[in-house]
Amino acid sequence: MDQFKQLVENRHAYAQSWKARTGGKVLGWYEPYFPEELAYAAGILPVRLLARHEPDDRSEKWMYAACYPARDILNQFLKGRYDYLDGMVTVEGCQWMYHAFESTLRSRPEFWNHYLFLPDYTDAPTSKTVLRSELQVFQEKLEAWTGRTVTDADLDWAIEVYNKNRLLLRQIYELRRAQEPVILGSEMMHLILADQVMDKAEMNEILERFLEELEQRTPHRDCIRLMLIGSETSDAALEEMAESLGANVVVDELDTGSSYFWNNVLPQKDRLMALALRYLGRPHNPIKDNNWRRRPQHIFELYEDFSADGVIIAKQIYCHLHGTDNYAVWKLLRERNIPYLFFERDTTLPEEETRLRLESFLTVVRQGATHVCGWHKTLA
Amino acid sequence: MSQGQRWKTRPLEFWAKAKELRADWQKSIEKQDKVVGQGNTGFADWSAAFPAITVIEDNPAGAMISHKNPPFARKSRLACEIRGWGREICGYHNNCWGGQFLGCQDDGTPFPYRRFVVPFPCVCDSHGKRGQQCRDFEAMPQWMADQCIYFGPRDARRDEPMLEHKTWCQLKVVNDIERIFGQPLDEEEYIRQLDTVSVVRAYAQEISVLMAQTIPTPLSVKDLYSVYTIGGLTKVNPDDTIAFWKLVRDEVKWRADNQIAAVGNERFRWIEAHPPSWHMLKYYRYLEKFGAVCLGSQYSHMMSGGLQRREDGTISGNWELEPKGTAPYPADTPLATREDIVRYSFGPDARYPYTFKIDEYLYPDKIVEFAGMMQADGALLGLWRCGVGCTMTRKEQAMRLRDAGYQVLLYEGSQPGDRTDLDEKQFFDRLDGWMESLGLERLED
Repeated sequence: MDQFKQLVENRHAYAQSWKARTGGKVLGWYEPYFPEELAYAAGILPVRLLARHEPDDRSEKWMYAACYPARDILNQFLKGRYDYLDGMVTVEGCQWMYHAFESTLRSRPEFWNHYLFLPDYTDAPTSKTVLRSELQVFQEKLEAWTGRTVTDADLDWAIEVYNKNRLLLRQIYELRRAQEPVILGSEMMHLILADQVMDKAEMNEILERFLEELEQRTPHRDCIRLMLIGSETSDAALEEMAESLGANVVVDELDTGSSYFWNNVLPQKDRLMALALRYLGRPHNPIKDNNWRRRPQHIFELYEDFSADGVIIAKQIYCHLHGTDNYAVWKLLRERNIPYLFFERDTTLPEEETRLRLESFLTVVRQGATHVCGWHKTLA
Repeated sequence: MSQGQRWKTRPLEFWAKAKELRADWQKSIEKQDKVVGQGNTGFADWSAAFPAITVIEDNPAGAMISHKNPPFARKSRLACEIRGWGREICGYHNNCWGGQFLGCQDDGTPFPYRRFVVPFPCVCDSHGKRGQQCRDFEAMPQWMADQCIYFGPRDARRDEPMLEHKTWCQLKVVNDIERIFGQPLDEEEYIRQLDTVSVVRAYAQEISVLMAQTIPTPLSVKDLYSVYTIGGLTKVNPDDTIAFWKLVRDEVKWRADNQIAAVGNERFRWIEAHPPSWHMLKYYRYLEKFGAVCLGSQYSHMMSGGLQRREDGTISGNWELEPKGTAPYPADTPLATREDIVRYSFGPDARYPYTFKIDEYLYPDKIVEFAGMMQADGALLGLWRCGVGCTMTRKEQAMRLRDAGYQVLLYEGSQPGDRTDLDEKQFFDRLDGWMESLGLERLED
């Protein structure tokens, strides 16, 4: 098992040991627009709440027809897996995640919590002022909670650590552009997931060592190159399945994948404004991709840049956001003759059905495989 | 008198006028001599200030299609699904936008293609994304009527930038419409519409309070739903709107004063949460055969701005009680500029108009307070597979109502505008079982 997969699987133990080691607080976050830097600057470990593939045996009492990540995160809270958390925070975004947040609070009212508003209309000139104000409110609440003033120096340090982390992730990610990449899709996904539950300063050291290690690696042979888009995920089961069928996911456009680290904070004197601009300017997921519709074009650019041969769209069932956005995405893919496979997933990935569909899709892609970089060849 | 009848009852006299106004509205949108835009009509008061513009909304259209023409609704949803829309997307939207892909409405007339779109995000994810696809379908101007929300009591510091944001968004909409479509905004008409909304809300609030406080209730929610869109979703002449709501208020008050019941055998009062299954409204009458009358939901009473109980036990509108409330600015607030009008329309609470949503999402306990105000005995709550905004916190509300001693029944379906998953036979069997378990025999057939 690769080291990053282990880190993801042992994330609860890691957070508890971090807490014992540092005496700091651990804060769980739900939504991809959460500005982690602020919490980190206050000496807190922000950890992304990730779903697991487990039977949904508790959350049904609280929720109906919610997406599996929301149900499962609530399930884990109800089972006590997140008992070590000191608080939780969500950002205006997907309603199912808000539901998980709200229901958790109902069952565990002792958790410190905060709801941070981030405009759905991210492009208005007033949006940044709203978010900056919300960050100020959040910062003051954090300071009252921790009893520690967050100084400009703290913020500068946190921004630097996070920017370095994004740079390292991007450096590793860029290696996937190679015709014979040194890292497979499953390992990369585990790496990004691990990054979201670890102390970034510690993770940066691991990533620096890992980059050196990659330089020594023998590249994987060229094969069908896939792009993965759709709802957020918390594992790499799909990437592993593609690899078992002779393909490789070389690029993704997931909230839990590349979108997590794609853009940096551009430092400025007003630190909170710098943070606001970073989160308003990140690659948007469907709920925030409202006025200017950047998402379809971003998907296409990634597809071209990483020379993919086809696209897998894996939507969580009951994900209303991707359920509405797919119209625009399908339209773009069809207009540009890009082959794609769409399917819905739920708590678990239906192994045989998904394998069969993926196999069939790969057969189609293999027959007409054309790497977008311009040359034609027959793939094994 | 029929079996079990305890109160006098009589047909509603405002029915004829309600039908006339709805017919007027229908004619006005069928003329198609105006620029048609997509927006949230209930809150698009600015649209009344553009005489040559009509803003229509997919929600009421989709609900109506599900009721009038199930085969077309099915065809529409399929037209959406094969283009990428999820199976769990709101029935209102699929019913309506399927027509866009098919090129026609349910009666075969051409689909009223939009020439601009104003999405209204926040609160319901499906609502946030709806309308956006008009521009995915074909190029057209789009503006955002962004909404803001936060937990807890009013916070003026958070309100300030949020109100600036909402004001900027709103001014952008009206200024750009003027520029692009060459139609001047009639500011006097804008103010008149806001005044109309304010007067209607006061009447509506009186009606809600009369329903809540009077046993037997003078009006059931089934009656209320036949008029509650007039002046809001279905905008007609402001003078006619005010006159109509006064007519309704007067008649409801008279009925309350004279104990004229909506349901003559009222003996069980129940509430629900959010909209009903618009495609199958007969369950209201079905339960009336048991003497069970529906008082509505927080949703159906949103035209009153929401209700809450004063310390003395009486009931008021939500905005009356600061700091939690959403009190509007005083009616004599000076409105010298267009910006003044826009700010006035929002009031000082940046979270307006989501009072009822805040109650449902942020304070699920409020449904218990609502049940108490309505003097309810039980609740019938729908769980909608395809309605994120219609289902959120519903199970929690059920638990809270149950814990407070109310008789609760849950049922499942797709969405208020989508009949796919609603098993009618099983649903009515459940209603029988619910009534029988409460010792309520059917009083008439």
